[in-house]
Amino acid sequence: MTTLHLVRQSAFNSNDLAQCLMIATTADTLVLIDDACYNVNHPLITQTLIEQPELAVKVIQSHAQARAMTTPNAITAITIQDLVSLTFTHEKVITWQ
Amino acid sequence: MAAFTEQETSEVAKTAEILNTTKTLALINSKAPFANTHGKDSLDVALIFASFEQVVSLFFQGDGVYQLIDQQDGSLISVKDYLKTFSAFEFYDIEDIYVCQQSLVERKLSNSFHIENVQVLTAKDFALQLSQHKHVLRF
Repeated sequence: MTTLHLVRQSAFNSNDLAQCLMIATTADTLVLIDDACYNVNHPLITQTLIEQPELAVKVIQSHAQARAMTTPNAITAITIQDLVSLTFTHEKVITWQ
Repeated sequence: MAAFTEQETSEVAKTAEILNTTKTLALINSKAPFANTHGKDSLDVALIFASFEQVVSLFFQGDGVYQLIDQQDGSLISVKDYLKTFSAFEFYDIEDIYVCQQSLVERKLSNSFHIENVQVLTAKDFALQLSQHKHVLRF
């Protein structure tokens, strides 16, 4: 059962990302949207990218660019249309908000 | 009424000086700019107080530091970019703008801001500056 995780808040301000990473498995996809774009350089994400390289981490490009956040190479920048496609390729969606 | 001694006069003068230099209003900004209206509300309060010639100091702490980083563009996510108005602070005589260094370091942010005259302070100095204000509002 693959799950699409949508994280919407800055992990410097909430526990959502930490809780999400606790249950995310390697087949899942994690998408950072809205204020979650600030998480691209958060230690939790950095650590996850090293320890679970199979877990796909993506960020909405326009949301990150609006916030002047530069995306590290290990994170894929996607469009809103790509996000819609992802909802079809995963069996479940969990929105962390 | 007895006249003040010289020492008493000097003490009163010192107290008066401290009262005069006590800054009135501090605004703490602790939220990122686009997902909610806290930052915009804080800006409105700052400009209104400044219009009435009240002394206002701005403090940026936690996710609030994201309000100051360079190269942001709210139009990409259809948000009216109130951050551009920050450049009017000088015109409104808002000169005391403080940023928490620890918050910047935690978020791996550099000291390049979209406005000038920003003072980056250690957590201790940040607290010290804040303590010199009579009133504090947090957004």
